[in-house]
Amino acid sequence: MPTQNPSQSLIELRGVVKVYSTAAGEFNALRGINLQVGTHEFVGIVGKSGAGKSTLLNMITGVDEITSGEVIVNSNGGAVSIHDLDEDSIALWRGKNLGIVYQSFQLLPMLTLVENITLPMDLCGVFKPKESRERAMDLLRLVELEEHANKLPAFISGGQQQRVAIARALANDPPILVADEPTGSLDSITADHIFDVFEHLVTDQGKTIIMVTHDNSLAPRFSRHLTIADGEIVDEVVRAARAGAAPSWPGRGRAGTGERSAAQSKDSVLGLRTSSSAQREVTKRRRTK
Amino acid sequence: MTPPRARPKAGLAIHDMSHPDAMIDMHGIVKTFKNAAGEFTVLKGIDLTIYRGEFVSIVGKSGSGKSTLLNMITGIDHPTAGKVVIGGTDIYTGVTESQRSRWRGRNLGIVFQFFQLLPMLTLVENVMLSMDYAEMHDFDERPERAMEMLKLVGLEKFANKLPVLVSTGQQQLAAIARALACDPPLLVADEPTGNLDSKSADAIIDLFEELSRRGKTIVMVTHDPSLTSRTTRNIIISDGELIDETVSRALPLLRHRHMLEITKNARRESFQPHEVILECNQHVEDLYMIANGSVDVMTGNGSRSRVLAHLEANDLFGEIELLRGGKSIACVQAGNKPVEVLAFPRADFLRIVEESPITAEALGKIVQSRLEEHKKVIRKK
Amino acid sequence: MTNGVQRLQTLETPKQGDPSTSSGYRFGLHKQIIMKPRWRKVFHDLIDNKARTLLVVFSIAVGVFSIGVIAGAYEIISNDMSASYAANIPANIELRMADFDEDVLTSIRNDQNIDLAEARRVFSIRVRVPGTQSWTTLDMVAFDDFEANTVNLLVPLEGESVPQKREIVLEQDALNHIQGVQVGQPLEFQLPDGSIKTMPVVGIVQDTATGAGDFLAAPYAYVTLNTLQYLGQADRFNRVYATTASGGDDIFHVREVGAALKDKLEKNGSIVIRTRFSMTHEHPLADTVNAILGILMALGILIVFLSSSLIANTLNALLNQHLRHIGVIKLVGGQRRQVFIMYLTLIMAFGVLALLVAVPLGGQGAYGLALFISSELNFNLLGYRLVPIAFAIQIAVGLLVPLVAGLAPVINGSRITVLRALSGDLAQDENQSSAGHDAESGIRIHWLDWMQIRFTRMLAKRGIHIPRPFVISLRNTFRRKGRLALTLFTLTMGGAIFIAVFNVRTTLHDYIGQIGKYFVADVSIDFDSPYRLREIEQKVLQVDGVERVEGWQFVSGELLDENGEVLENLNIFAPPAESKLIEPILTAGRWVLPDDERKFAVSEATLGYFPDLKPGDYLPIEVNGQKETWQVVGIFKFVDREGMLAYAPYEYVSRMNNLANQAYMFRLVTEQHNRPYQDEKAEELDAFLRTEGYNVHQSEAGSASLDTAVESLDTLVVFLLIMAILTAIVGSMGLTGTMGMNVLERTREIGITRAIGADDRAVMRTVIAEGVVIGMISFALAIILSIPFTYLLSTIVSLAVFETPIDVVFTYLGYAIWLGLVLALSAVASILPARNAARLTIREVLAYE
Repeated sequence: MPTQNPSQSLIELRGVVKVYSTAAGEFNALRGINLQVGTHEFVGIVGKSGAGKSTLLNMITGVDEITSGEVIVNSNGGAVSIHDLDEDSIALWRGKNLGIVYQSFQLLPMLTLVENITLPMDLCGVFKPKESRERAMDLLRLVELEEHANKLPAFISGGQQQRVAIARALANDPPILVADEPTGSLDSITADHIFDVFEHLVTDQGKTIIMVTHDNSLAPRFSRHLTIADGEIVDEVVRAARAGAAPSWPGRGRAGTGERSAAQSKDSVLGLRTSSSAQREVTKRRRTK
Repeated sequence: MTPPRARPKAGLAIHDMSHPDAMIDMHGIVKTFKNAAGEFTVLKGIDLTIYRGEFVSIVGKSGSGKSTLLNMITGIDHPTAGKVVIGGTDIYTGVTESQRSRWRGRNLGIVFQFFQLLPMLTLVENVMLSMDYAEMHDFDERPERAMEMLKLVGLEKFANKLPVLVSTGQQQLAAIARALACDPPLLVADEPTGNLDSKSADAIIDLFEELSRRGKTIVMVTHDPSLTSRTTRNIIISDGELIDETVSRALPLLRHRHMLEITKNARRESFQPHEVILECNQHVEDLYMIANGSVDVMTGNGSRSRVLAHLEANDLFGEIELLRGGKSIACVQAGNKPVEVLAFPRADFLRIVEESPITAEALGKIVQSRLEEHKKVIRKK
Repeated sequence: MTNGVQRLQTLETPKQGDPSTSSGYRFGLHKQIIMKPRWRKVFHDLIDNKARTLLVVFSIAVGVFSIGVIAGAYEIISNDMSASYAANIPANIELRMADFDEDVLTSIRNDQNIDLAEARRVFSIRVRVPGTQSWTTLDMVAFDDFEANTVNLLVPLEGESVPQKREIVLEQDALNHIQGVQVGQPLEFQLPDGSIKTMPVVGIVQDTATGAGDFLAAPYAYVTLNTLQYLGQADRFNRVYATTASGGDDIFHVREVGAALKDKLEKNGSIVIRTRFSMTHEHPLADTVNAILGILMALGILIVFLSSSLIANTLNALLNQHLRHIGVIKLVGGQRRQVFIMYLTLIMAFGVLALLVAVPLGGQGAYGLALFISSELNFNLLGYRLVPIAFAIQIAVGLLVPLVAGLAPVINGSRITVLRALSGDLAQDENQSSAGHDAESGIRIHWLDWMQIRFTRMLAKRGIHIPRPFVISLRNTFRRKGRLALTLFTLTMGGAIFIAVFNVRTTLHDYIGQIGKYFVADVSIDFDSPYRLREIEQKVLQVDGVERVEGWQFVSGELLDENGEVLENLNIFAPPAESKLIEPILTAGRWVLPDDERKFAVSEATLGYFPDLKPGDYLPIEVNGQKETWQVVGIFKFVDREGMLAYAPYEYVSRMNNLANQAYMFRLVTEQHNRPYQDEKAEELDAFLRTEGYNVHQSEAGSASLDTAVESLDTLVVFLLIMAILTAIVGSMGLTGTMGMNVLERTREIGITRAIGADDRAVMRTVIAEGVVIGMISFALAIILSIPFTYLLSTIVSLAVFETPIDVVFTYLGYAIWLGLVLALSAVASILPARNAARLTIREVLAYE
């Protein structure tokens, strides 16, 4: 596994270009993106449909092939140029290092919520089966769905499904969470709640999150937001660092007592609104073009 | 294009269902979806009239119910309660899905975001297909008619290609050609530019504008705010309810949820011509938005007063006082015609502005420019 | 209104009504066993969609079952048929002789080459249950000592196996022929002089050896020698059943011993009328049975193939529906190998389920089929058992076939990238393989699609426009090319076999019809003693409806080889040379003439011994105990049973037999020629002649024996037809599955058509038209394929039954019926998917993912 150029940033994109061949000819979805994301950042990528924001996300998750450039992710003790890996290695690496949340939840319909969350742990073999299950229950507790643990996805609402998807993304305790329009198919109140969960993960869990959205009104809630248009980053706004990240749960091996973490998570989820609205942003704007 | 008559505001007034110029008349539309997790009311009693020749955009966030609203117009879905009359036809009462399909083929053209064309048919065959289903035009005339439609959208060169061989933008154009093939008076589009690059999107909107000029009624759902400037009318839907068009125009930068709150909580007040709406040096308790008519902002009452500004529909007043606190610095009275205004309480407004920094910023600018205007006038005086 | 999509989506999500999930909770296994989520997914894939699982399991089980039945039956029969035959010490040599006595038997027993020998008297007699009308002809076998029975052993089944004086024991086959007969009940016997004797039935036995080579033989009954007198028979023997001292399985040795024995007997003054040789360990009908089992085996293998294409289609669709799941699994860290193993496990589970169903059923079925055949051919099975080789074949088929059929879809499925899997871009057509290149865009269109578009354009240029909804049906047909190929394969095979079976049936009937030309007479009467032609003519013309009568001679002999050794029994019929009651089908030479002496026309089967035989050649034969050489004047087609057939003129043979102007056999023509009339006249004549004091042996409708042959052939045809219908059912199941999958994949397109104005009828029409187009293509292919199938099946069947290839005749009937059937099947197969398609509301369709 190549571990060249250990960089300071968690994620580094160097000259990422993505060209699609379509009927109408070649289409440049990304035209040389350079981007560095550090730990505990909450990065929003906004832009219109077709601007290339989802493509950019696909470059970071490695689900799509890169045309040229490099994506280096420096997590769990090693820098990896993910597009140099073969498909299976990417899958395994992704399972351990990246949690992905999509607009359409993508839960497996035949598995219960707790099974859906256990699945990544099963496939990557990071946790022992018994441990996995306890951990899955803890994660469900985190998203306040433990009483639905043995339900099938079809029997809970969209917002709840998305919370399960987030819990699943956290299964292997990855440092990075990537979300593609996670609130896109939810009504505004539910969407708010989901967004709160993400904010909580950054502030209290120390996760790094990259989220694609086309909802401009969310922009102020990111620690940094990028506007992408026609395959280029056209605008970048960086806000002051958020409240100190204090990752307390769920750390690997210290899943802790259920009660305590439940209480904790409930508190933090509830307490979120005040803390986030209390943060008045000091914006520093710099034009990249 | 403006409709020939002044129209009542959507969302609040109850319409006469038999309005002669109404293309679409929706009344009390409720749509509830049921699933295992419970019931979701997506449309919460929508009243909407769209007139012949209008080019309407419907805007809303994902999940706001805009596509569902559109589905109520196209008959693709059916409402839980309420009535939809299109071109004089009640499309739900006693009509089966199958009959609705036939009606749709003859009376409206539909353009979707994805999955437009049947992949196994060439473009021209796709266009002919809708005529085949609707049994419009003679069988032998259909190829010719289809080619005309393709010419209209500039695709005659590609008539005999399969959809996979043309770009998505061209596919979209072909879909519009198909929608026009049966010459329907109404065109309905759901995010027609949603997955197109900006150039192709422009071409599509140009075409819509052209069609609108030719007298077609067009209703388009989009979440791209930049497109709304090119339509004759913009309807915003938020959490299943329509936002008053005055509110959305007066405070365009607010979040939809807040616009909806204002729509719901604002008082509608009417004033006779020249009637005083706001006295000078009064405590201002509301933000005012002009729904109809125009108002004059005056330095004071009576004959000595001078007109500081002339405000038209969709302008707002009272914001300076609300933002900065204190009493009114000018007085406002109705213009030459009766005036209708929406008044929204101060405390709620401040809270909303608090949550919307961009609006605050924009209002700040308005306030600043108005204050400067005011000072200039005062100084002159 | 929401049912449509829910129903379709039950492919993916459990039904709400499912008791285990009604509240949304899944109770059960995980409470006791912690199953890894990936295996739980496999488990639920297996049990959640029961219809699909049933389809796959059934597809596999059909193949496993049919191959198991046939392989098992084959194995059981080929083993037990010989074993049970050999167990009853079958005679290697059977001699039909003129009456002889104990001394002759003793001399036979003293022959050093002979191990065991028994003498019996066999004669035919008519029997009925008292109080009933219809007579049945039995072959009565008289034994000296039942206790000392050593050859052609009788196996006791019911009651006594040893009759006392004036008692009778029946062979079990007689039960099928004599209605209402029971042990302990008396039977009435009609003697040649018309008198009636009564004897009680005291037991039922099975005789697997006597007459084993002729499944159309009359049933047997057994009495003791001291009963003969009561039945008006001489107390003498006329049959010898003997086994050779050694080499019982060497047919050449048996023949040698038999020929030597015969020579010796004849030298001592006995007359040997006919000989028959057989091996100890091979049932005389083994070849025929094996040929028929061979046909069944071929069909069984075909069904396995057909079912495997069904499996391939279903698994392909399953994997297609699961691409999104695979995408999710890969997204959260699943590797290709893990996905591969998961789905392989699923397929193996399908296989195991199918085996659980099909192996026991197949074992039962194999034994059932073997039992059916064994009872038809009168031999015993050695008892129910599992045939290890059939068991192994079943397991191999049950696991390997789905594995092979599913391997490609599983490999492709496990290879899919997350992006493609999640982008919803799944309904795409199969990858383009060749030709039809679009110059501008660089995207390749499959040549077949390209051709279709060109063709439509060409028609359009000539002003011929096909309505677009039908164009959709046509092009949809060819979109899933692999699936179409598999569907066409199953349906075409079913059709081709179906048509071929009809052709074979017609071919057989045609052949029988041609043979019927040798049996033009309406009634044939055989007497036990010769009568003058004139006398009989006078008598029978007194019976109403009799128009004409001919007396035929008959002489039996043997066909010899160059060295004078017996090759085969020879039956020489001698109708008047000018007879109108025989219309021979000559393949060479001419028919007999009145003044032909020592000249005859021989059947085609003779060519088996003398391949170069042509008219004008001479053949060595033995007739009436004399070796002679006769000239062949013509060769004709016929079915030979129990020896070769030849025709010589009455004029010569009657002189040769010293029976000028006399005959044993008479052939009559009646006013009407239908079977009931013939039967009626036959009975009337029988009664009339007996009352007039004639020794009537039997009187029956002219086509009676022919009809028996037709019946047995029809049984075979029905068997083939059942197999053909089975393949047709598998084929139409395949079509239904295909249409279901097609509709499922095209729900979105159906939504578009609804959105632009297609009503229910239009949607249904498009789907049904596609099914019918597939049906028609398969029909066209079946027409072509049915030709070689007809030849193949006809040849195998005719070789098995007639031991000669016969001319194939085609009939429009099979084609017409199959056309109707395939149209109906394809319409029906698409109606259900079409209805589902029409029920979908557009919102559901466009939201469908």
